[in-house]
Amino acid sequence: MKPARVVICCGSGGVGKTTTSAALAIRFARSGKRVAVLTIDPARRLADSLSVGEIGNTAFPVPLPDLPPGASLHAMMLDSKRTFDDVVARFSGSPDARDRILRNHYYRFVSTRLAGAHEYMAMEKLFELSTSGDYDVVVLDTPPSRHALDFLSAPEKMANLMDEGVMRWLVLPASRGGWRMIEKGSEIMAKVLKSMLGDRTITDIAEFFSAFQSLWEGFRQRSLDVRELLRAPETRYLLVTTPAPGARAEALHFLDVLQRSRMPFGGFLINRCAVAPVHVGPPGFGPRPDDVPEAEWAALVRALAEVPERRRRLVAAQDHAIAELRAHAPGAAPIWRIPELDEEVHDLAGLARVSVHLPDPDALLATSV
Amino acid sequence: MSILDRRVVLVTGKGGVGKTTISALIALRAARAGKRVLLCETSGVTQVPPLFGVSGRGYEAVEVAPRLHTLSITSEAAIEDYIVMQLRFRRLYKMVFRNRVVGPFIDAVPGLHDLIQLGKVFDLERTRINGRPEWDLIVVDAPATGHGLTMLASPRAMMDLTVSGPFHDNAHDVAMLYEDPARTALLLVSLPEDMPLKETEELHERLGALRGLVRGLVLNEVHPSPVPDPARFQALYPALRAGADAAGREALDIAESGLLRTARQDAARVRLGALGPPVVDVPFLFRRDLGPAQLAALLPSVESL
Repeated sequence: MKPARVVICCGSGGVGKTTTSAALAIRFARSGKRVAVLTIDPARRLADSLSVGEIGNTAFPVPLPDLPPGASLHAMMLDSKRTFDDVVARFSGSPDARDRILRNHYYRFVSTRLAGAHEYMAMEKLFELSTSGDYDVVVLDTPPSRHALDFLSAPEKMANLMDEGVMRWLVLPASRGGWRMIEKGSEIMAKVLKSMLGDRTITDIAEFFSAFQSLWEGFRQRSLDVRELLRAPETRYLLVTTPAPGARAEALHFLDVLQRSRMPFGGFLINRCAVAPVHVGPPGFGPRPDDVPEAEWAALVRALAEVPERRRRLVAAQDHAIAELRAHAPGAAPIWRIPELDEEVHDLAGLARVSVHLPDPDALLATSV
Repeated sequence: MSILDRRVVLVTGKGGVGKTTISALIALRAARAGKRVLLCETSGVTQVPPLFGVSGRGYEAVEVAPRLHTLSITSEAAIEDYIVMQLRFRRLYKMVFRNRVVGPFIDAVPGLHDLIQLGKVFDLERTRINGRPEWDLIVVDAPATGHGLTMLASPRAMMDLTVSGPFHDNAHDVAMLYEDPARTALLLVSLPEDMPLKETEELHERLGALRGLVRGLVLNEVHPSPVPDPARFQALYPALRAGADAAGREALDIAESGLLRTARQDAARVRLGALGPPVVDVPFLFRRDLGPAQLAALLPSVESL
């Protein structure tokens, strides 16, 4: 079975990543693909814009009219905690081992608050969707996080955390009923950690790792598979940004991280681009109605003449920003501009309007930077 | 009491709303009022010095304007500082925390990174020179909404997790500073768009007991109205349109889309106003880049906070 192609939308918060991901998924479905779009978002934004009430941890069909035969669109909003629970259940040797983990105090922190857990679970779900056989393309709206590309290293971090060394170091003492050391110098470490974090934390953590022991091989292998998927030659990373001056530094930072991690970059999606006026020269109006004072009419006409000028300045600033991006991007990186719409995008119709400005999956695969 | 009379001002909001610009404006305003100000970035990406036309980055404070210094608190550098301070021995830190086996485990301690960034600000707040605070005001360009909230909650989360010990006690001290409305103020930045407004409303709601810290709501990137009097424009629209040439019709279309935006801005101001704290507008500048001259031009908009 051929796994689905993966398209990952990255970018900093506020650039319209969720909307763009959903519109991209619509574009792909319209070109005949079976598509799933996955987002992590406590604000239920995807649910809002796809005009569906509830998104759980399962893919539900989006009622998109006029799809070609065979095409489909599903959307899913990730429940990170539940995905983590599912992973624990899948790799647990026994129901008993599973329950020991799910009940552990530290597990609650790990599964909900651990830096990287959220990101890792998104990757896990992405893997699940792409290997399910139900889709040709899976679009990921990357999770909001402090370093928004944390997800790239999440599989490694998870694998490290589950590393045998940590397991041995933490688990053995706990399984013998105390905090016993097996490495030289580790006694001091244990003392330091214990005095800083308190007894209960250390006991909880040790118990957690002890219970996790039976899972770790499966878990570790899985995180390596996920890492493979992220680097697969058919996977594409798209950088969503806006022409605003502040967005450029962050976009270039993302690009740098992507390239250093050798992830296949697919191009820029530039959201909310102002469109330049077509007509040059001063706009003409009139004639002035007799009941309108001359001064008022003149003031209004002056203000209206300034309107296209201001738009031109905005477009010039934005062209400059896009040229800067292009100058820093690898040679053939394509740029897709999405014009700013008068109305905010709230529903399927709005997403469909955005989607016509986006590349289809074949165009995207053809770009390899 | 103006926010300038607090010890710490935290600026947060949805990603992309302009937190850094607003933080810089608040800091600049305080510095111009004669205060010694420290502006802390927390994202790991150094954005403030270029705003003031100064190069420089990193963990050491650099002066970017008279009386105004800035530094970037990365959690890695701050963690080392913080733990060394608790342990008192840098060698012990290296042995324990830089250990290949223990490293990931320390990274996994929930909330540690957030707490330590806040803890660093807490330490800076306490720094005295000849009995006088080194900084009159510390402005923190905090992480985006969701994470910002986690960060604010991190001292309590650490206290719950540890129950006792030096981390617990330190987290308690840190919590005392950030929970005190006489010493700490919170500014929420938003844009006149639905999603950032929703996030601002949700954050305000989820702040719970900390809601009293919110001293202002900033509506950023406010565009000017394209016409002096929108109502008169609507009334005269048919006459303008009837005699317009192609360029005129296009100008009218652009003006109309501008009016849709100003209407959204008005609605946004009403929504923010319903939350209680004062709302200020910061105008959008039709410029390529923000620099010292643009910051100075925007300064009057935050004067009332």
